[in-house]
Amino acid sequence: MFPKLDPLLHSELRLAVMSILADIQSADFTFLKKQTGATAGNLSVQLDKLASAGYITIEKGFKGKMPCTTCTITPPGMEAFQGYVEALKDYLPL
Amino acid sequence: MELNKEMTAQESLTLIAETINNSRKDVIRRSGRYYIIWGALLTFFSLLIYLLWKTSGNAAWNNLWFAMPLIGFPLSRMLKAKDGAGQEKNIVTSTVGGIWTSFCVFACSVAVFCLVYGLLTNNAIGNIVVGASLTAMIVLLFGLAETVTGVALKNWVIKIAGFVTGIGGIIVYYVTGTNKEQMLIFTFAGIVLMATGLIVKRQN
Repeated sequence: MFPKLDPLLHSELRLAVMSILADIQSADFTFLKKQTGATAGNLSVQLDKLASAGYITIEKGFKGKMPCTTCTITPPGMEAFQGYVEALKDYLPL
Repeated sequence: MELNKEMTAQESLTLIAETINNSRKDVIRRSGRYYIIWGALLTFFSLLIYLLWKTSGNAAWNNLWFAMPLIGFPLSRMLKAKDGAGQEKNIVTSTVGGIWTSFCVFACSVAVFCLVYGLLTNNAIGNIVVGASLTAMIVLLFGLAETVTGVALKNWVIKIAGFVTGIGGIIVYYVTGTNKEQMLIFTFAGIVLMATGLIVKRQN
């Protein structure tokens, strides 16, 4: 019996965002947009979904005079990501 | 990456590996320019102090070293602010940043101690620099920091450059004696630091 994959993470863009944040903990919106190649609108929607699940926090502030949105992975988010990677291993003939 | 499509397990793992790898390289590559800035400053100040010391014969020009962080830190801050993004850190950049911060704290503390001790005992800073083998200590610390950076970045050229600067610097220091030529050791160290920055930018 294969473990169920977290549906929130089993999506290309959200998984890419969580992978980046699992490595660097926090990143601003511009960095995530550049790394994922997503449009601002789509990225924004997916970030809100991750934030609603408690996987990341989103802080809006300013860097000098420029608005800046910083996303940070939460401990439950990191746990979910690790669980997802573990579960993936069961699907593969390793 | 717009469709939020469902993926196979293999595709998911590949995506995770590729995303982490690309983001990691980008973060490390951006850190390269800080080595270039500090390397250029080190080269400039060492040559300036060497020339001033040589023409005036006064070792007190060593006090100019204290101007280097006064220029370097605001310059680094400006670069970070200009970049917009760029606060991102991963395990490699955090480790390497910690190594160089420790180097800076050690080197500045020893230099400040020598300055204060010199003032209290009415010794010229040059005598203290010479007496405490400050150049030798700092160049050894520099070599160590550079070598550990090479270990963290898994780069043999940087590791060897660290050994050459640290050990070579000590040898040159004791061979040339305690005169103004010791400043050229720092010129070499500055060039090594700039080269490290270029390697970091290129290899990632």
